[in-house]
Amino acid sequence: MPTDSAFVKRPVTFLLVALCAVGLWMPTAHATVDDALTFALEAMDKYIKQGYNLREDTWGGDLPEKEAKAITHQLFKGNDYWFCMGTSTKGAKISIHVYDSDGNLVEEAGSWQREKGDAAFAGSQVVCKKTGTYFLIVKVEKSPEDRTDWGLVYSYK
Amino acid sequence: MLFSMTKRPWLSFALSLPLAAASALPFSVLHAQDAPPPQKIDVSHFTSSVEDVVIPVPSEIFNALDKLGGNPNWGSVLPTGESKFHPKVQAQNALLLGVVIADGFIAVEAKDSSRVEQIGRRVIELASTLGVGKSVISHCNAISEAAKKDQWDGVRVELDRTQNSVREAMKALHSRDESQLVSIAGWLRGTDALTFLVGKDYKPDRADLLHQPQMLETFDRQFEEMGNSVKADKMVSEIRAGFKKIKPLVDSKGNEAIPQKTVTDVNEITSALVKNVAP
Repeated sequence: MPTDSAFVKRPVTFLLVALCAVGLWMPTAHATVDDALTFALEAMDKYIKQGYNLREDTWGGDLPEKEAKAITHQLFKGNDYWFCMGTSTKGAKISIHVYDSDGNLVEEAGSWQREKGDAAFAGSQVVCKKTGTYFLIVKVEKSPEDRTDWGLVYSYK
Repeated sequence: MLFSMTKRPWLSFALSLPLAAASALPFSVLHAQDAPPPQKIDVSHFTSSVEDVVIPVPSEIFNALDKLGGNPNWGSVLPTGESKFHPKVQAQNALLLGVVIADGFIAVEAKDSSRVEQIGRRVIELASTLGVGKSVISHCNAISEAAKKDQWDGVRVELDRTQNSVREAMKALHSRDESQLVSIAGWLRGTDALTFLVGKDYKPDRADLLHQPQMLETFDRQFEEMGNSVKADKMVSEIRAGFKKIKPLVDSKGNEAIPQKTVTDVNEITSALVKNVAP
């Protein structure tokens, strides 16, 4: 289902139930957006434990190496947001950065990129100073594959 | 297009199982921003890549309002009675369901457990009318349980899941238009409550929460893409017309604050629309 436009919609509930029930989930050679989302959720787990509220809406798709995608998103002054991105493509490196509508980088200093096992993660925090439209720039920095799956979740407090 | 997903209480468990092996490994590489991101980009370069905007749940906006101080009186924006109104048109049912779910978020802010439980029952009733009752029963039960224990974060999470489950179930029934109407009505009711409270205790910071022209553009696009019968529905077309009036009011340029008069104007529009949907 991942498409060239790199955005798909999928019942992740079903995915998580299946993973939980079977308990046999392992990354496979065919990386999927669902796997990417699972990793994005794993990265977010830490922040949920810190009191951030996970939103139900998520994004995902696949991208070629070096290509970035912009997602418009409404943020509200006073809220503290975390955006976490994941991929199940082994050897890939991904990034997420947040810009305001004038193109200024607005994320906090603690934004990060990591690789672990067969997965890679990235996170970006925004303490919103002005209500408005923002741009989430997701990018596959490097990858051994033609197209790399990615999933993005967000939380706020 | 967006994914839609549902977080369950077992989310952490679900995550811990499949990822247990990976979790045993330390993060093998931690990049401290190998190449720092550019401080400024040309966002117009990405225009062709921009997808639909995520519609915020009311609690996301209410949370911001709470943080901006003033101790809003959330109880004052809860509906006064328990409505038994049942529209005969599915589109109007979807709108009513969206409003009722948003009422649930308001009841959470007001920490009114009996209203939360009452709203939970009403959600099941309306969702059943739309043919998606089964998808919300577990959420509504969880809402009721969490409200009894004053676990307000849990109620918020379940309300978000409820809205999401309804939308997904309706899409599965090929009722995409009605699915969008649930979110649109939720935003409408949330904005109604927000503008009432901000209008009562005006501060430019709080009024700034209304600065959402992109949301209104998204809604208008969604209305445009709806089927003719839904688009022609009187209630739907009135909401669309109301949103067209609101958009220029909240499209403040630069650092210009949204004035109090504008906040009350938006409230007049939204409260009339909400009364129409949920008399």
